[in-house]
Amino acid sequence: MERITANQGQSEIKGGVPVLQMNKVTKMIKGKAIVNQLSFEIGRGEIVGLLGPNGAGKTTTIRMMTGLIKMTEGDVLVQGHSIRNDFKQAIAHIGAIIENPEFYSHMTGLDNLLQYVRMSDGISKSRITEVVELVGLQEAMNKKVKAYSLGMRQRLGIAQALLHSPKLLILDEPTNGLDPAGIREMRDYMRKIAEVEGISILISSHMLGEIEQICHRAVVIQNGTLVRVTRLGAEAQTEGEVALTVRVDNIAAAQAVIQAEDGVKLTGADELHSELNIRLYDHKVPELVAALGAAKVGVYRITEHKQSLEEDFLNWTGGNRIA
Amino acid sequence: MRKFNLLVLNEWLKIFKKRSFFIPYLIAVLFQAMIAYISHSFSPDSFPSAAAFIKEMLLPTGLGQIIAILAIIGTAGIVSKEHSQGTVKFLLIRARSRTAILASKYVTVLLYALSLTVVTAASIVISGILLFQTGGGETGIADILQSLLYGYVYTVVYVTFVFMVGVLTNSTGVTIGISMFAVMMDKVVIYRDFYKYFLFPNLDLSIYRGGTPPLPGMTLGFSILMLAVYMAVFLLAGFLVFRRRDVA
Repeated sequence: MERITANQGQSEIKGGVPVLQMNKVTKMIKGKAIVNQLSFEIGRGEIVGLLGPNGAGKTTTIRMMTGLIKMTEGDVLVQGHSIRNDFKQAIAHIGAIIENPEFYSHMTGLDNLLQYVRMSDGISKSRITEVVELVGLQEAMNKKVKAYSLGMRQRLGIAQALLHSPKLLILDEPTNGLDPAGIREMRDYMRKIAEVEGISILISSHMLGEIEQICHRAVVIQNGTLVRVTRLGAEAQTEGEVALTVRVDNIAAAQAVIQAEDGVKLTGADELHSELNIRLYDHKVPELVAALGAAKVGVYRITEHKQSLEEDFLNWTGGNRIA
Repeated sequence: MRKFNLLVLNEWLKIFKKRSFFIPYLIAVLFQAMIAYISHSFSPDSFPSAAAFIKEMLLPTGLGQIIAILAIIGTAGIVSKEHSQGTVKFLLIRARSRTAILASKYVTVLLYALSLTVVTAASIVISGILLFQTGGGETGIADILQSLLYGYVYTVVYVTFVFMVGVLTNSTGVTIGISMFAVMMDKVVIYRDFYKYFLFPNLDLSIYRGGTPPLPGMTLGFSILMLAVYMAVFLLAGFLVFRRRDVA
């Protein structure tokens, strides 16, 4: 079962060397597996969400990817370099913000960035200006970081992660603690970065809406094991079928009409709101509406019923119990 | 090597950019000026010459202890503050080994201790020349340099100890507490033979200058060897733990 899901994850890569390869990564703490045999890949230019309920092992996974904590078994390859045995080569391709971005608050934004410039190889002066402009912090560069808002620190965090032009950007809970405007700003930055810099992004979050809006794929984990890898926005195209919710005045009559109609599946009924959930082919919709009209069933609303990532997520992880 | 120097520069800037950077230097300078003034005003005969004053003041029994305390306070947080502020995450995800990062921090605290020693020594020399009789007496420049060296050795051993404790405990407060306790206890001598293998009686090398050793069987060479062994153990423990630690 585990193997099948893992392979499924790998086969979805578009081709070429994956930017990141997680290879049966395991972390044991006091005999308990926090992360267990986790394998997935991230291709070039992909935005991937790492999803899971609280305590699923998201942050542990990310800390292992960045070498902050040692893995018990398995390996992480970044552009083919092992984090275990070839750390300096591997980490040079990663830019990351892990949990909240924390800086030396008694120093200015520029001083902080210069710290990281001195710790990487071959970052030009123009690159600093470029990155600062990308996150729009030109005005704040000479202010001390303690005067920064959380949003500004988040942006400085992105700047420090992008300085050395990494191939993979890892963001752990990037919207944690941000207000709605900040969240939206963050999302725009991520899109911009993926386009402008052409790099892969891994976002860990339990904010499903966020993931749904920007990611190409989602890797769902629970209790440290892979639950599934899913391509986002792919379900809508399945077989040309649509799921609709219809609100009617007479639910019994409508049910009768729908059952009589060929190729329309009744998937659920909500008596309270007198709504019916149905599945049918696109071209069948006008026929159904005509049939309902002929049977004198009043139709108030027809809305597309999209299974949201949230519902899928709760299905996969079996509700919101905290592991 | 250039990469390593840049790491040291980084660490130095983190200390230097603090607004409180100059305070330890100020404390050391004012403290020695106060002692110089008091001994000049109330017991002018205690130091026969400026050189004798300078020689005594530089020792661990003089201002050396103050320098050590100030250096301890500066050193205690250099690793643990990175953890408590959360900046360690950005520090360790760079293309530099943990060994290089910790080594750059160690070199920085050695430089910091040296700068404290040099500034204090310079101010001691100035007050000595201003307040005491220059020339005469038996004390020469060699004695002064020896005192400077012994004072610095005392500070460096402490700084190395504090550096290790800071890595092991990850807490600035606990580190300062343990170190201050050690500084207060290090003058106490337990008159048993095994005690000569402890760190404390070996810390002040100036005891071999003419006087009798605190415990039988102790020599200058013995003490230097003991200090070297202790420092190697401290550094080994610090580096091993820092390299292997999971940063949560």
